[in-house]
Amino acid sequence: MSGKLVSAGVLLAGLVAGAASGWYTLQHGMVQGETYSGWRGSKVTGSVDADPWTRARVAVSGLLALNKSQAIYFSRNTDDSGARLREDCRYRVSGGALPARWWSITVYAADNYLPLNDDDALSFDQTEAQPAGKVEWTGILSPKRPEGEPWASTNKAGDYDITLRLYQPTPRAQQDYGAIPMPKVTKLDCGGAA
Amino acid sequence: MTRNLKLLALFVGAAVIGHVGLVMAVPHALMKVAMNRMSGDGARINQFSFGPRTTKDSRGVVRPSPDLAYSSCVYDLSKGPLLVSAAPSPNQGYVSLSVFAANTDNIAALDTTQYPQGIRFVLKRKGQAAPVGVQVVESPSDKGIILDRRLAPSAALFAEVDKARRADSCAPLG
Repeated sequence: MSGKLVSAGVLLAGLVAGAASGWYTLQHGMVQGETYSGWRGSKVTGSVDADPWTRARVAVSGLLALNKSQAIYFSRNTDDSGARLREDCRYRVSGGALPARWWSITVYAADNYLPLNDDDALSFDQTEAQPAGKVEWTGILSPKRPEGEPWASTNKAGDYDITLRLYQPTPRAQQDYGAIPMPKVTKLDCGGAA
Repeated sequence: MTRNLKLLALFVGAAVIGHVGLVMAVPHALMKVAMNRMSGDGARINQFSFGPRTTKDSRGVVRPSPDLAYSSCVYDLSKGPLLVSAAPSPNQGYVSLSVFAANTDNIAALDTTQYPQGIRFVLKRKGQAAPVGVQVVESPSDKGIILDRRLAPSAALFAEVDKARRADSCAPLG
């Protein structure tokens, strides 16, 4: 009898430990995939070809994501020097023509939702940063509104990350993420320093 | 010693089952939560709901885009196929209809670049009949979500596309 009880206890402990390790994996592993100039992206996001772990991670951190034929998503939580993005720092995001019909860059807090600020600047997009005819573009990530530049507010964003969405990417971009000229993220200053 | 090895094997086997079981269950569970929220706990099935402009308070689905206007239709194909359609936005702005199965897979995405006059398709299960000559999408599950995404990066553009999306339809095939 005691032997059966011990076995049941071990079985239960194994199930709980396994489930806990699964939950930890989903909570602490953003969507895996490859890294391209500091941006992480997975070719199987939203795809029927996604493995169970990718599918579960996408469900946790990007439910209802489109597959790459319609949109490609890249995220990062570091600047180009590899340092963690900080709420109190200013960063310049810059790039050129992106191989998509439309793009945007959005700030997300650690809970995978938009930062709880009232700045009405949760993202900037192609229509704002790259009006017709303009190729090179820049935007600012910072807790305070910059003068005359596209801006995504990091106010109350905490340990945030940013997501680049490329909608209706070109066939070449879909096929080879490495061919996409990824935007740069350069730290300007921190703590209000000029 | 043998008994301890057996218990260790039991623990490892149970841990693998617990890990894989949770990973497999999470997408279905989160989709169920999303479907309940989007359908008002099942009150709005097979019809579009039109979300407000995305703000910091948008907490229905993780990582919403503040540049898009979202509309959703929670579908149930158990009683037959649906005819789904979406009108284009003014100035040919980006519009897509995407279909998600109950396991979160994005099984179809159609947009107004492919269909500039508007998107129209029949959503059905395998084995269900569909009219000839209409685009067909087959869902591997009875239930799931259709999302209408429209480019609307400003309040003014949101107001424009909000009018256009009211013509969206997601209803049983008559």
